[in-house]
Amino acid sequence: MQIFNLKFSGLLLLLLVAIFLPFLMTDYWRYVFSIAYYYTIMAASWNLLGGYTGQFSLGHHTFALIGAYTSTLMILKAGIPLWMGILSGTILTIIVSFVLGFLCLRVRGIYLALITWAFAEVVRVYIRMDYVFTGGDRGLFAPLFFGTTKPLPYYYLFLGVSVFAIILIAAIMRSRIGYYFRAIRNDEVAARAMGVNTVRWKVFAFMVASGLAGLAGAFYGHSIGLISPVLGEFNEMAMIIIFVVIGGMRTQAGPVLGAISIRYLMDLLREWSEIRIIILSAIVIIIMRFFNGGLMELFKRAKQWVQQKGIKEPVPAYPQIDQK
Amino acid sequence: MNNHRRHLLNVENVVKDFGGLTAVNHVSLRVVEGEIRGLIGPNASGKTTLINLITGIYKVTGGGIYFSENRIDGLQPNVIASMGIMRTFQISRVFRDMTVLENMMVPALSQGQTMLEAKTRAEELLEFALLSTLKGEPAKSLSGGQNMLLQIVRGFMNKYLRLYIMDEPFAGVHQSIKGIILKAIKTMNREKGITFMIISHEMTTISNLCNQISVLHKGEIISQGTMEEVANDPLVIDAYLGG
Amino acid sequence: MDLHLFSQFLVAGIIMGILYCLMSLGINFIYGIMKVINWSMGEFFMIGAYVQYLLIIYFIGSRYWYIGVVISAFCVFFLGALVQRILIKPMFVGIIEEKMEYATIVTISMAIFLRNLAVLIGGPYIYTPPDYASPTHIGPLPLSGNRFVALIGALILLALFYYFMKRTWIGKAFQAVAQNRSGVQTAGINVLKFDAIAFGIGTALAAAGGALLAPIFLVHPMCGLIPTIRGFEIIVIAGLGSIPGVLVASLSLGIAESLGSAFINPSFLDIYGFVLLILVLLIKPFGLFGKEERMA
Repeated sequence: MQIFNLKFSGLLLLLLVAIFLPFLMTDYWRYVFSIAYYYTIMAASWNLLGGYTGQFSLGHHTFALIGAYTSTLMILKAGIPLWMGILSGTILTIIVSFVLGFLCLRVRGIYLALITWAFAEVVRVYIRMDYVFTGGDRGLFAPLFFGTTKPLPYYYLFLGVSVFAIILIAAIMRSRIGYYFRAIRNDEVAARAMGVNTVRWKVFAFMVASGLAGLAGAFYGHSIGLISPVLGEFNEMAMIIIFVVIGGMRTQAGPVLGAISIRYLMDLLREWSEIRIIILSAIVIIIMRFFNGGLMELFKRAKQWVQQKGIKEPVPAYPQIDQK
Repeated sequence: MNNHRRHLLNVENVVKDFGGLTAVNHVSLRVVEGEIRGLIGPNASGKTTLINLITGIYKVTGGGIYFSENRIDGLQPNVIASMGIMRTFQISRVFRDMTVLENMMVPALSQGQTMLEAKTRAEELLEFALLSTLKGEPAKSLSGGQNMLLQIVRGFMNKYLRLYIMDEPFAGVHQSIKGIILKAIKTMNREKGITFMIISHEMTTISNLCNQISVLHKGEIISQGTMEEVANDPLVIDAYLGG
Repeated sequence: MDLHLFSQFLVAGIIMGILYCLMSLGINFIYGIMKVINWSMGEFFMIGAYVQYLLIIYFIGSRYWYIGVVISAFCVFFLGALVQRILIKPMFVGIIEEKMEYATIVTISMAIFLRNLAVLIGGPYIYTPPDYASPTHIGPLPLSGNRFVALIGALILLALFYYFMKRTWIGKAFQAVAQNRSGVQTAGINVLKFDAIAFGIGTALAAAGGALLAPIFLVHPMCGLIPTIRGFEIIVIAGLGSIPGVLVASLSLGIAESLGSAFINPSFLDIYGFVLLILVLLIKPFGLFGKEERMA
């Protein structure tokens, strides 16, 4: 195992920076970054499903919603402890994604997008309608994880969960399962002919991604203290897609980079809430049209350009001697 | 006839209907273990459909398909692959965004081979196919012929391979690559006893390679025998020359 | 059950269904030709509504509102064709590899772009265009004038569309493209040009819907949301690509919503459509008229 190489030390450095950053921040920015880490989990897990495995789900945010509501409702109605609420939220999302995945992952890609879209809307509308049970549009007060609204502990909570998610996803992609996912995305028919049980692995990808979303959603609920169906609006899904596309689909770092940098940018531009979205969506369109790989590809190309520049001007080994 | 050798593949009276069109019409075919069988026929005679039926992509409308006495029609393609049947596609289906080496490893990994095993075996086969220099390149950067070659050697990664069905492996392929493909088929057949079924339009290649040839026309087997027998069969001549 | 009351609500549902049909037809029409789902259809509806509002307030006045509908549709036709040219065509000339992913992301981004652009340009306000007609009634059923003329307008547009598809040469060419995209090229049809026209027609239909329904749904940046949601519910129920399916699904949706609101609970309006959707999918997973998808 290549543990002590440049890439790993670079990542470790980033992690250390992230750990010490809050001491340089005000409470406001600690909060902003906590949310950014939440979206990192959502982006990275969606990338696993949609980017690497090619299963384009439009209901990813709904699993976060389900995680949050399940946890809070279980705690409020059944009186279970908080950690159990989060666990039950995660487990329920895994079960729901298993059923949903099994039902709609056996057909062509475009149907998955439609069915998950419909699923997202059904859940959102249901929560709004059944307001006696779920609190409807007014939302639900969720018990706070640390019993306080100070953002500092939540910063580390979300940092920790996102590191966990990133490592889990990286481990999966490096294993044989990662090979299956990529083969499925590239050519599902060929993958089956090569012995890959595509249905099983597509459902697995769906379950892992959705489970992570449910986990993140449950934590989110217990960090903000108030959950509402707004979390399930299509806007949330669009944000996730924007983060992944701008950061770079089908890379490990892309979703992380995209989520954190765009959230940061969005907060800087919070005065111009429409303009920032207009710019972001335009950037996404341009990226999709012209260089698919987002920021990560930009870095890659820059690196190549620098390397090539080096080759173009070689220093001669010895001075030229004119032959007379 | 080699009656003492087992029939590895037994296609029994298979029918495939697509709504109004009967693509495969009561086809029966037996392939003996260790054979190199040729499957020829004019365009749209149902050859690819037959392969898709054998490998589980389509379900039969009637009849049955047996592999080593086990019934395989109705099974999923990945299950059939794990039983030892591999196939290549007429238009090469490689995993375009994965490297050549990674392409090779997929069938091995899905069988349960370890990463190391798979990698070693892949590198050996790539060496044999003269593709080693390209092993880190994404498959989409390969030429058409190289893609076909990759497709073919990828199938050999299946440790339990017994029957290899190839759909037009020589079509549009450069002479040197064709040579490698032929060498691969002959070597694997001779040394590992792998059975082959080759679909091709290239009559000279087929007659050099194959012991027996089956002729498919409009979804029916109209002839079977050695190349000479088949070439002189008036039914076959009529099928190719007629309308 | 009061038959009189029932039939009133049934008729109201049918009327709504026809309006929904106009909104959703474009989506399936475009899908049939290009196998692309345009997630920003609702936003083209919204553009139609805005254009109509501007035309009425600044140019033609409320008496000639129907001219506004035609102009809106016309403008959006060209806008749609332009958008198709720039953004969608690359999918079909070999530039884009992952087609479905590209189309979905690009059209979703367009939807968000247009929605926010509307807020930027017009502000987050709700504009109320003047009524097209005064309240009237169909038999004993009271009907708002706007709904009535929208119904007439929708019927006219749907009839025109039907005539266009079935009786003109171009319409038949479109049917051919939808059935066999590669085959028609050998017949000399420039598929790429047809793509642009189809996209233009689809978006123009949505825009016409927006213009017609402006006094009912009002004009604001989010007015495209309902057409989007209803539209996609309808195509899931109808089956991708099926035009007759859209009519059946729209009517079913309209009737389900109307009867549900009347006899069960009006505040659960949004749910009835989805209940219908789930029921249909349980019986016919590809939609009422959907085609079973074969792998390979």
